Amino acid sequence: MTGLRVAAVGDVHLGEDMRGRYREHLAGIEERADVLLLAGDLTRHGTLEEGRVVADEFRDLPIPVVAVLGNHDYHSDKPAEIAALLRDAGIMVLHDDSVVLDIDGVRLGVVGGKGFGGGFAGKCASEFGEPEIKAFVNHTKRIADRWRRALKELDVDRRIVLSHYSPVNDTLEGEPLEIYPFLGSYLLAEAVDAEGADLIIHGHAHKGTEKGMTSGGIRVRNVALPVLNRAYAVYCRDGDGESC
Amino acid sequence: MGEAPQYVAARVQQALAEDERTTELGIRVDVRGEQLFLRGQVSCEERRTLIADVAEEAAPGLAIRNELTVSDVRVPEGEEKL
Repeated sequence: MTGLRVAAVGDVHLGEDMRGRYREHLAGIEERADVLLLAGDLTRHGTLEEGRVVADEFRDLPIPVVAVLGNHDYHSDKPAEIAALLRDAGIMVLHDDSVVLDIDGVRLGVVGGKGFGGGFAGKCASEFGEPEIKAFVNHTKRIADRWRRALKELDVDRRIVLSHYSPVNDTLEGEPLEIYPFLGSYLLAEAVDAEGADLIIHGHAHKGTEKGMTSGGIRVRNVALPVLNRAYAVYCRDGDGESC
Repeated sequence: MGEAPQYVAARVQQALAEDERTTELGIRVDVRGEQLFLRGQVSCEERRTLIADVAEEAAPGLAIRNELTVSDVRVPEGEEKL
């Protein structure tokens, strides 16, 4: 099995005023990576106009592009329409499901979706009290369950989980503690740890930290653009007995 | 008694998040006396100006100190081996 090079970025927050500016940084991406993952918050406030800018910036790249949406992409209540615009541009959009890519004979499974919040073990909300709180926590639980099932069903060589919200608090370091419950949930990490994965990619936490890991030892990378401060990061996973 | 500066800052922060022109969640807003400080990173010069405009509308009468920086998207370099 050969190595796998994964490019990733999130929180590009594109609008009409950024048209064409991101695309210029993607030239030659096929020399550096085998697949590009987009970790949500692709738009500023989820309008179709912004969705079209995103579709144009990432269309027809020489490597496959897999995306999830983020909370900003939901703001105008048009997530399905934005996802359709991206799919029309050849971008695969995950919504708590999976896609399998064949990359030079390596079967790569990508599982994911937006994810959601709730907080981290010992400091989190639970399904208790008012219906609004129950709905909040239940939304995350349902997402985590769907990821777990999707991972269980995958029969592939490599597995990556792509999320917008964070599954761990390691990668939130730098954000105010008070907002951690709105930045992610340990339920997402728990689901992935149960089924196993090679890497988890997320965005959302602009002031966070790039590198972290789950309780089960799975590497987590926060690829929010303000964290990376570069057009995308590249993570390379060695093949068996072969470096990448 | 005038409005506490913390409430003014919170109102501006909320305006920056909810105003359709900005929808920026990560801007730090501080009020000190008659001055309102804006700090954080934005993607382009136009947004930097727009954010200051929205902040001024939400807190008229304060002097806006626009300390936002425009983040430069750099060319990717290197890779991390996992």
